[in-house]
Parts: sequence; structure tokens; C-alpha cells
Amino acid sequence: MTAILVNELVKRYGAFEAVKGVSFEVPAGQIFALLGRNGAGKTTTVEVLAGFQRPDGGSVRVLGLDPVADRAAVRQRTGVMVQEAGFFPDLTVAQTVDTWRDFTSAPRPREEALELAGLKEKAATRVRQLSGGEKRRLDLALALLGRPDVLFLDEPTAGMDPRARVDTWEVVRELARQGTTVLLTTHYLEEAQRLAAAMAIMDEGAVVAAGGMAETLAGLRGRVAFRLPAGVRPDDLPLPVSLDGELAVCRADDPDLAAQTLLTWAAGRGLRLAGLEVRTATLEDLFLDLPRSAR
Amino acid sequence: MSLAATYRLGTRLFWKDRGMLFGSVVTPVGLAIGLPVLMRNVTSAGAADVAHLFHGMIAIVLATTTFMTMVVALTMRRDQLVLKRLRTTELTDGQILGGQIASVVTQTVVIVALSAVAVRVLAGVPLPGEPLLFAAAVVAGSAVMALLAAAYTAAIPRAELSAAFAMPVFLLAGVGAGAMGPIPLPSLVQTALDLLPTAAVVAAVRHGEVLAPALNLAAWTVIGVVSLRLWFRWEPRRS
Repeated sequence: MTAILVNELVKRYGAFEAVKGVSFEVPAGQIFALLGRNGAGKTTTVEVLAGFQRPDGGSVRVLGLDPVADRAAVRQRTGVMVQEAGFFPDLTVAQTVDTWRDFTSAPRPREEALELAGLKEKAATRVRQLSGGEKRRLDLALALLGRPDVLFLDEPTAGMDPRARVDTWEVVRELARQGTTVLLTTHYLEEAQRLAAAMAIMDEGAVVAAGGMAETLAGLRGRVAFRLPAGVRPDDLPLPVSLDGELAVCRADDPDLAAQTLLTWAAGRGLRLAGLEVRTATLEDLFLDLPRSAR
Repeated sequence: MSLAATYRLGTRLFWKDRGMLFGSVVTPVGLAIGLPVLMRNVTSAGAADVAHLFHGMIAIVLATTTFMTMVVALTMRRDQLVLKRLRTTELTDGQILGGQIASVVTQTVVIVALSAVAVRVLAGVPLPGEPLLFAAAVVAGSAVMALLAAAYTAAIPRAELSAAFAMPVFLLAGVGAGAMGPIPLPSLVQTALDLLPTAAVVAAVRHGEVLAPALNLAAWTVIGVVSLRLWFRWEPRRS
């Protein structure tokens, strides 16, 4: 079953076209990542899906419903974590959760929501005293309150410390295991790579690359990098490399094999490949492989 | 359920915002009780004159406790993106605004009732002869002022300017209702000021009028609802 459907979506602000005919589908229970730079149109897409804005062209459906026309019905089954939203600064974390429970038809108990978001110790703290990352956790707690079937997370871990980020990933994974569909936008490629089963990369309002995460990564080339030894020219090497400062970078389908070839070559000449780094493909590489305009 | 939830939220925040209480409660209550008491005890004014002044004071309470409070709260919540967050919940737009309006109306009614009792005790102003009409006028007038305040936020660029934008309304309502003493006004101006919703409330409580004030408030309700639908902003301007 398709949980989220975006079909030729167009959204304009005055003369500026923020989203230009974007289409993608997210099956129920999947984590889908929407990637791209600032201003790529990710947030606008999420805001249309969340029913804050009306599409200027094309259509979107969430659980088969129109998020603008059927907002009340859609809201009962969705959780939204928008990129920027305020709290009442004078309420404590617990009071905020209680207030929001009041707005939710079948809410999780307060303790459960705080536990999920890792905010138990902060229950009595006023919201104005929370750090940016803690506010993001509270955001997550509120989005999860209604046990949503579909979760929109716009930059969910922005401002979180590494520990909180890993905790949040675990929460999102667990929700997906239980059947929640998650649409996530992120700057962090690692985040998308670790969480999402499928993704789309947006640039200047359009999708420039899309597909399953595993297939996309499998189709990418890995990378071997090292400092070019003194007196060696790139042409001397047994494999083609590109230069990034004094770093020689070799892109290869099998980076382990490429590294072995290079090391054998270097050993035969008594050279050292200093700072050698071998890694399989990441989304970073996908970004770098895109045409420059789409980066 | 959810209207009650936003009502409770609005009430909680009303009394929690210490800074705001000075403008929303202390000042209007001080004026509405203090001026009639002062007039009664310091001048030779009779009970009828003092009652006239007190009825004018209701316009001041409507312009501050209702209108200004509403304008400040909504622009603040708009600019802090709290309204946006409320819209991520199951609440409908009507419930978000309706609960807030109902809450502010309740606080206003409590303050007017408290003031009416206080000036009865302290300045001998007779309690309303027609309590039902009095109550209906205050409730309806406050609801219309709260609605207009919500619509008015569309004209306010930033939250810091909200109190300044509410000031002219306070002055017009006060002068029009004679709450600031007998100010000689050209008849054209007085006629215009009599069209204010606060003037309709004062006419009802002062003279027992029903039909004209009811029509006046109905017209302002239409203006409020239409402008709300056309121009209300849930988020700050992006540019």
C-alpha cells in the first residue's frame, strides 16, 4: 500500500517556483529520505504534504487523503515535526506534553512519550531552558504522541549532539519496524544512509536522483585516497586518479582491490602511500557524482 | 473536546504571563474601579454621573483585557511559530482561534463583573438594572472585540509592534465611550465613534438599548469573520 504519494507537485511563491513537478511514492512502513541542499524544495514539499500549503499544480495524497481538504482526518494518523516551530517558553516539558496530549485523540501516556524522546530527566525543566537539541527531542515527543501511521520529520536531528542523534535514529528505526511510514528530510547523508530504505535527491525544486538506498549505493563507486608520494606524477600510478590538493583520489567499483593494486605497485618501488583511506560508496559520493549544478 | 483544550491553554497562558497581566488585568481593573471611586469621593458627582463613567469604563476593559491581550498573544504566538506548531496537531483552525477567543472573553467577563461589584460597594454605582442584558452585552461585545483583534493581527508586521497597534483602538474606544471625561467632539467624529463595537456595548448597558447594539455587533462580526478568512496569517511573513 502506498502511504505517501506525490504526483507532479508544483509550488510557487510569487514568481519563484520552489517545487517544479516533483513525484515520488512511499510504501507503508518504509523510511524515505528527501535529500538536498538548503533551498532545494524539501521543506516546501513536506509542508504541502503536512497540509500547511496548497499545491499550485499536481497532487499529493497521504494515506489516500488530501492533506488540505481532509486535514482533520489526516492529522489523526500523522505526526509532524516541522523544521521550525515554537513552544510556550514558560511551560515545563511535562506541561507541554500534557497540553499536547489534550489536543490528541488517543495519546501516548506522558511518561512513554518522554521516555521515547529521552527527555525523562528534563520533565520539570522550563522549555526556555532547553538546549537546541533538547527542543528537537521535545519536538519528536510531540510528533509521536498520537502513535501516527505516517511521520514527517523535517531535519529531525539538526542541532542534536552525536549521542542524541544515534538515540533518535534508533527511535525512528523502531517505529518503522512497528509499521510507521517515515518521510525524513536531512542534510546529513549518513543519517539518510543509515535509516532510509529509499531516497530522492532534490535540487532547485526538482528530483535529480532517486531510488532504493541499497541499489543506489551498490551502483556507486568506492574511493581510495592517499597523499601522492614526492616525485610521483598521477600518470605514473597503475590506476587513474584525480587530485584533490595533494590527495590522490581513485574511484573504483571495488575499492579494496584498487587499494591492493596501488599498494603492490608502491611496495615494488619502495614508496609509502601515506594517509591511505579506503571506503565503500556513501551518499557523499553520489552527491559528488551529480552534475555540478545539482550539488 | 479540543475547543475545551485550547480554552484551557489560553486561560493558563493568560494568567501565567506575569508581564502581560499588568496591561491585561491590573491597569483596566485599576481604571474601571479607581476612577469611579475617585470621582465619587473627591468630586461632588452623584451616583448617576459615576454610573455613566463606569459604563464608559467597560469600553476600556474591552479595548485592553479583550482586544490588546488577544492582539499581543496572537502576534507573539504567530511570530514564535507556536500557531504553526498548534496546526500540526489534530486541532482545526477554528478550534485554535475559537478556544483562545472564548478564554479571553471569560477573563473579560470576570473582570467586568468584579468591577461592577467593586464600584457598587465603593462608589455606590447601582448594580445593572437588567442583569441579563448587561451580561449579554458584555459577552457579545467581548467576543466581537476578540474576533476583530484576531483579524487585526494581519495588519501588524511584528509582535513587538502589537501593543503600539492596539493603542489607537484603546484611545478611540475610551474617548468614544466618555471614559476619558467629557471631551468636546465634533458631531461627525462622535457619530463615527458611536459606530464602534465598544460604543454598542456601552449603549446597551447605559441606556438599555437592544436592537441597535445587536445590529452593530452583528455587522462587526461579519467584518471580523470575512477579514479573518481573507488576511489572517498563521506564520510570520517570510520576507
